[in-house]
Amino acid sequence: MSSTLPFWILNSARNSIATLQGGRRLYSRCASNRNKSRWRLFSQGPGTLKSSAPCSGFALQKAYRHTSTEEDDFHLQLSPEQVNEVLRAGESAHKFLDLVSGAPNSVLRFESNQLAANSPVEDRRGVASCLQTSGLMFGIFDGHGGHACAQAVSERLFYYVAVSLMSQQTLERMEGAMESMKPLMPILQWLKHPGDSIYKDVTSVHLDHLRVYWQELLDLHMEMGLNIKEALMYSFQRLDSDISLEVQAPLEDEMTRNLSLQVAFSGATACMAHVDGVHLHVANAGDCRAILGVQEDNGMWSCLPLTRDHNAWNQAELSRLKREHPESEDRTVIVDNRLLGVLMPCRAFGDVQLKWSKELQRSVLERGFDTEALNIYQFTPPHYHTPPYLTAEPEVTYHRLRPQDKFLVLASDGLWDVLDNEDVVRLVVEHLAEASRHKPDLAQRPANLGLMQSLLQQRRAQGLRAADQNAATRLIRHAIGSNEYGEMEPERLTAMLTLPEDLARMYRDDITVTVVYFNSDSIDAYYKGG
Amino acid sequence: MFSRLLSVARRQRTGRGWQNWSSGRSGAPAAEAHSVALPAQAHVVICGGGIMGTSVAYHLSKMGWKDIVLLEQGRLAAGSTRFCAGILSTARHLTIEQKMADYSNKLYQQLEQETGIQTGYIRTGSIFLAQTQDRLISLKRINSRLNVIGIPSEIISPKKVAELHPLLNVHDLVGAMHVPEDAVVSSADVALALASAASQNGVQIYDRTSVLHVMVKKGQVTGVETDKGQIECQYFVNCAGQWAYELGLSNEEPVSIPLHACEHFYLLTRPLETPLQSNTPTVVDADGRIYIRNWQGGILSGGFEKNPKPIFTEGKNQLEIQNLQEDWDHFEPLLSSLLRRMPELETLEIMKLVNCPETFTPDMRCIMGESPAVQGYYVLVGMNSAGLSFAGGAGRYLAEWMVHGYPSESIWELDLKRFGALQSSRTFLRHRVMEVMPLLYDLKVPRWDFQTGRQLRTSPLYDRLDAQGARWMEKHGFERPKYFVPPDKDLLALEQSKTFYKPDWFDIVESEVKCCKEAVCVIDMSSFTKFEITSTGDQALEILQYLFSNDLDVPVGHIVHTGMLNEGGGYENDCSIARLSKRSFFMISPTDQQVHCWAWLKKHMPEDSNLLLEDVTWKYTALNLIGPRAVDVLSELSYAPMTPDHFPSLFCKYALHVYNEVMSVGQKYGIRNAGYYALRSLRIEKFFAFWGQDLNTLTTPLECGRESRVKLDKGMDFIGRDALLQQKQNGVYKRLTMFILDDHDTDLDLWPWWGEPIYRNGQYAGKTTSSAYSYTLERHVCLGFVHNFSEDTGEEQVVTADFINRGEYEIDIAGHRFQAKAKLYPVTSLFTHKRRKDDVELSDLHGK
Repeated sequence: MSSTLPFWILNSARNSIATLQGGRRLYSRCASNRNKSRWRLFSQGPGTLKSSAPCSGFALQKAYRHTSTEEDDFHLQLSPEQVNEVLRAGESAHKFLDLVSGAPNSVLRFESNQLAANSPVEDRRGVASCLQTSGLMFGIFDGHGGHACAQAVSERLFYYVAVSLMSQQTLERMEGAMESMKPLMPILQWLKHPGDSIYKDVTSVHLDHLRVYWQELLDLHMEMGLNIKEALMYSFQRLDSDISLEVQAPLEDEMTRNLSLQVAFSGATACMAHVDGVHLHVANAGDCRAILGVQEDNGMWSCLPLTRDHNAWNQAELSRLKREHPESEDRTVIVDNRLLGVLMPCRAFGDVQLKWSKELQRSVLERGFDTEALNIYQFTPPHYHTPPYLTAEPEVTYHRLRPQDKFLVLASDGLWDVLDNEDVVRLVVEHLAEASRHKPDLAQRPANLGLMQSLLQQRRAQGLRAADQNAATRLIRHAIGSNEYGEMEPERLTAMLTLPEDLARMYRDDITVTVVYFNSDSIDAYYKGG
Repeated sequence: MFSRLLSVARRQRTGRGWQNWSSGRSGAPAAEAHSVALPAQAHVVICGGGIMGTSVAYHLSKMGWKDIVLLEQGRLAAGSTRFCAGILSTARHLTIEQKMADYSNKLYQQLEQETGIQTGYIRTGSIFLAQTQDRLISLKRINSRLNVIGIPSEIISPKKVAELHPLLNVHDLVGAMHVPEDAVVSSADVALALASAASQNGVQIYDRTSVLHVMVKKGQVTGVETDKGQIECQYFVNCAGQWAYELGLSNEEPVSIPLHACEHFYLLTRPLETPLQSNTPTVVDADGRIYIRNWQGGILSGGFEKNPKPIFTEGKNQLEIQNLQEDWDHFEPLLSSLLRRMPELETLEIMKLVNCPETFTPDMRCIMGESPAVQGYYVLVGMNSAGLSFAGGAGRYLAEWMVHGYPSESIWELDLKRFGALQSSRTFLRHRVMEVMPLLYDLKVPRWDFQTGRQLRTSPLYDRLDAQGARWMEKHGFERPKYFVPPDKDLLALEQSKTFYKPDWFDIVESEVKCCKEAVCVIDMSSFTKFEITSTGDQALEILQYLFSNDLDVPVGHIVHTGMLNEGGGYENDCSIARLSKRSFFMISPTDQQVHCWAWLKKHMPEDSNLLLEDVTWKYTALNLIGPRAVDVLSELSYAPMTPDHFPSLFCKYALHVYNEVMSVGQKYGIRNAGYYALRSLRIEKFFAFWGQDLNTLTTPLECGRESRVKLDKGMDFIGRDALLQQKQNGVYKRLTMFILDDHDTDLDLWPWWGEPIYRNGQYAGKTTSSAYSYTLERHVCLGFVHNFSEDTGEEQVVTADFINRGEYEIDIAGHRFQAKAKLYPVTSLFTHKRRKDDVELSDLHGK
């Protein structure tokens, strides 16, 4: 089968898209012609949506120049090492210290990875620990209509949450430091992948708005700060409203102004977890998902979903939308399983096209933005009568961690479209088993140096053959490389990884996965220690 | 409060275990520390209660300073100090480091007697093993230098090694160095003892107090903000170890302290069946990348692996160094190396693998001194895992620096100001320390270059030169060509070209030198630091006349070679100044002077808005044309007449264009590119001393025969004048001398580098400061200072020209002494044609 594959791909690729970009990316296999773009209005060509569009002229040229040699190129294959290299480029992992301020840490480590389909990638992720309060935060942010909104949310949301959780006293100290122009005490410690980008230029504006938020929190005079659930609820909505207000407010600096416009007119779904001891909160708005891998006492594994996807297949969401809008719109709120026939998720940050009144949109855009240069798609969907249609209000789930809760998987819908919850748990469990099988265990530490040496040498010899070190990489590998029967097909994997940039989005979505492992011993200790 | 610390120290001693250690400490009541209020004012605030901070406090208080406050964020001696392996070793590569370690050794030895606190000091001696001949050469070089500063050491045979240490496998050794006075000591107890002594001298110590940031006004320290309140102070000392980088950046006026931590692992075992004697020597097997010391009857062994694990790149916020994860897989190569060296240990029981992060710096040397940006902000950090060995001496030098304004030794090699801002990037540091940590045990051959963190600063001609075969070295982050490999030439791979003997670039540099002498060469010297000083009135001339020792009131267009001296008459900088107009001057200094010279000028120039100092290093590409046909090339390029008498200052905006023109016009004169190695050979054979190598803050113009370049008789005041006048009257105590090696075979003998001991009539007389092969003399030439140590007392006596000329000299290269001829003046035969004074001035710019 694989020998005939390339030509079939080639033809389908040629037929389906005009701007075939050859270059180094070689060939592709069309799994099914499902177009998964969130924004259907733009779905004719994902290329038009991209913020890299200014250079699309070059892409075209390149494509035409490159037609004659394509067949030859298509015989080239990525070696398994090259495949691994591509898959691992986005890897990040971190082992946490056993103790946080004296107490055993319930989180053991996390492993994360990201594979882009959009160019540039529209998913974002974040991991940070709160420095002024306790707790770790993990987030997945899936952007659409550009990456601006996902970028902004990934940079800012954790700050809003951290500030919401601060006690009155801490907030006062922060305010004091700002007032006297002293350096702020650090709020978050980020654990970033070296490739993660940040908007360095606008952080002062963002800090100002964060400050307004904590000033309002200060005015509430709550000794202990918000509880975690409230904090998550408020933070999501507050950040979304700040995003929306920032673009309405007159901003001096053109760059900041253009950026805030891009942020507001693109969108992002968000799913984040806050872990503090045995207290796990998950807040979700949109169709990212968080699940828990649970090992029962009998050794059986099961999956505990912690979020519900906010899309047209969620009955509760459908009723919510119907409830929030007049009966006359019952048939038009969701069309073709999309919000107003346009958007797949029905909760998201940004996307002011579905939140603001037509008048407001017009008046903001009429302030002389160069919408074309900024890649802002201005439109009004049919039946747009009673905005807002979209909200960033999250659903917050609380779960008290038990010793049998072994890991948490957060991922963007790029993963969940291809793998279901059980697959994901199974793959992570396999990963765990394999990791321990591949390496002779060090837990029963050999007593003397000689034994230790031979054990370590064994481990090293076997380690060389080990597959993925990172569970997230394993998930992504299977997500794009498995066939209909859930079997890994190396050819398919290679094909999916060598899709031309412009085609990739048609066969797969950006995938971002973070796997968080819990330390059952310390969770156990929480219960025993009371 | 302090008595509590002492009791902790005593408790620790009863159970000498690492585990007991931590539990003993965490039992200390936290509330007690909170109740103590900080003083509102102090003279000095020291941040960091590790061995560095306590040593600085100890020495400052000994020198009579009062109102010293030491703040520690956690508990005293709880950071790297606590996990230190406790090996004190004096065998260091730099003389200044050897001196610091030697002083530390003597200090720690008597500390117990002084303070009554047991430090666990045991003189074990140490053995440095050599598995290869190259390693043995490296050890021999260290050995000769140790001996001349009074540290006993000797090169021994493998057989002797086996006698000194019962467990060592010596079959693969070619030799070793034995340093009998090296010691082991508990680093934490030393810190506590130093703290105790300092406390008795009035230093106030507060633990569990974090410095949030340092308050700065007008570039001067005014106080510190802590989590327990503010303290006003005039001096701040950053001894924060791993946290120094972040602390430095937390100020409004950030202080860049380039360091980065790596994880460091060592192994602790249970006692051997026959427990090891507590005076069993420490073993360093650098070729095996490990060290091994006796520890409570068992061993403690760690090392510096090839693949270090950098840590805390993003910064860290934990209070104390938690016991980080052990990583046995990572330790495996070191463990194998240990078992190869001591096969009998196979059955030895493991106790613990300790992971204690150590900080490393971009050039493997520690960081001390005053910040160039903030006056009164001192730094002592970045010990490259030799903190215990350096703490005593480094603390003393820093204290001297603060009290007297300068330390008693030249510490330029360790000065914070040797780094530029570019070397503070986290990415740069992360990459560089991954190279530095293995380098601790790599073979250090002459003229090695760092491979990571390169191309931070380049000349606009970089690509052009690179394409022509340039091989690069780095100075202060700037890429400079060493030499140009001709297209047909194939140099050895980097690893193989590491040699103490004749290097593979010998012929290449020879042809470049020859071209410089017979035709013309072009050298890109853009890396040199360039400042412009202008004023509206005569302020520029006035202040420069005061800051520089030579007369700068010269006709416009002339260049003056001058020193920038300190009060003691020593060189703070040695530079060339061109007078661009009546009111503006152009100053060219060595590359690594960019930060130091800037700080010095800023400190000494009056606040005057009409006086402008600008760093224009970036603005100009500097091309140096060398050789008899240089004038011809230039004349063809310019309509202005070119003679040595009249060399107009011309500035052109298009560096690449000028370079191309020079190369194309120069073709018929045989022009070619040359690199710094050729230049270095030329400058050393002509006896040009270079700042940072031959000259430092403790050498004066009179000591290197540059009296004619000092305006002593012009009745003008300048910094250092009094000291020079006095020296002129009393005579000098050392004299820069040029040595031409006589019986040295360039092809077969070891090459000199720098730091080789000089013997006069068989007596030690000083060390070389730089050396090069002179292709003209066909001999090696070394520059170095000759002292006159009294045979009876060792005291320094006046050195006269007669004294120099009457001596018979030898240079000791790795234990082998070569006869040398001493010269006080350049060899005249080198000047093929009579040169004019201005011409000489110009060539001074060439530098090293």
